[in-house]
Amino acid sequence: MNETGLRQLSEKLIGTEIKAELLRLFHMNPGILDTIDSIARRIGRMPNDVETEIVTLLDLGVLRKERFGKLDVLSLNTRKDKEVQEKLAALIEGGVKE
Amino acid sequence: MRAPTGIPELDAMLHGGLMRGDVTLVVGSAGTGKTTLALQYLVNGATKFNENGLYITFEHMPSQIYRDSANFGWDIKKLEAEGKLRVVCTSPPVLVQFVEQRNPIDAIIEEINAKRIVIDSISHLEAFIPTSELRGELYRLINHLKMKELTSVFTAESHEVFGDRLVVTGVGLSFLVDCIILLRMVEIQSSLKKALTILKIRGSDHDKQLREFEITSSGIKASSPFEKYEQVLTGAPRRAIPVERLKEW
Repeated sequence: MNETGLRQLSEKLIGTEIKAELLRLFHMNPGILDTIDSIARRIGRMPNDVETEIVTLLDLGVLRKERFGKLDVLSLNTRKDKEVQEKLAALIEGGVKE
Repeated sequence: MRAPTGIPELDAMLHGGLMRGDVTLVVGSAGTGKTTLALQYLVNGATKFNENGLYITFEHMPSQIYRDSANFGWDIKKLEAEGKLRVVCTSPPVLVQFVEQRNPIDAIIEEINAKRIVIDSISHLEAFIPTSELRGELYRLINHLKMKELTSVFTAESHEVFGDRLVVTGVGLSFLVDCIILLRMVEIQSSLKKALTILKIRGSDHDKQLREFEITSSGIKASSPFEKYEQVLTGAPRRAIPVERLKEW
């Protein structure tokens, strides 16, 4: 269970290079409040390439999206991000113990 | 009435600091120290004057701001953790939306009880807002900040490093703001020096001299006026002829 859970969570969290880049971007710059277009530009990618990865991070709750006028604005959900990191750390610790 | 920048020489030039609730434009070409001055204003506000601040950046990533600030001994992350300062990285369309209705930026202003705000740099709005709408949008933004009683600093890039021309925007931003601080590179005896002057403050007198300044390990430090030179703003000053010499003529 632990190993499966760890694999599923880590795959959801990392999985692709772009997702890792997005996580790195938001962890290093927790003050980002921006649109998908601008976020894609900040990691040197095209908006279409980051959309799917952002949806996964939104599903996990690591990112949050709020609609303001015509714009969807994304930001890091620091509370949920911390929870996910703690969960991942606990799973790794459990996996190591086994 | 005044919001001191915490840079003693600049505050003296401003006769005490920026006028509270006003919008100040810090104009300069690349490398003149606009971002340093703006950050110093916020850090000093948070650490010396009990005034929390919000720094909005379009181009610089917060990680870069943290790193560069550390070089001046400013621990921005610590100030963020203490709820005294917040660095927000966004893009001009989001900022303009911020004016139109309540959004996360308004929420941050309320959350940290911000009294000071920096927008670095306002020049980026030009790339996102049609020229015909730019002045109106800037006017709306300025009034929004004033309604929130924030003492604001906008930075703006001037493309002319040297020369006798200075263009901030083509839409008259200099008329919309209350105060303008100009930072300029000047060449003196084959060395690049930096000059600082106050072009205007609405409703207040100010020092009209051009002063040399340096970016030191603790931030901006202004020094003496360029008394022995004239035409400093052109970037290529020449030695002024002493009055005594003129009398001999």
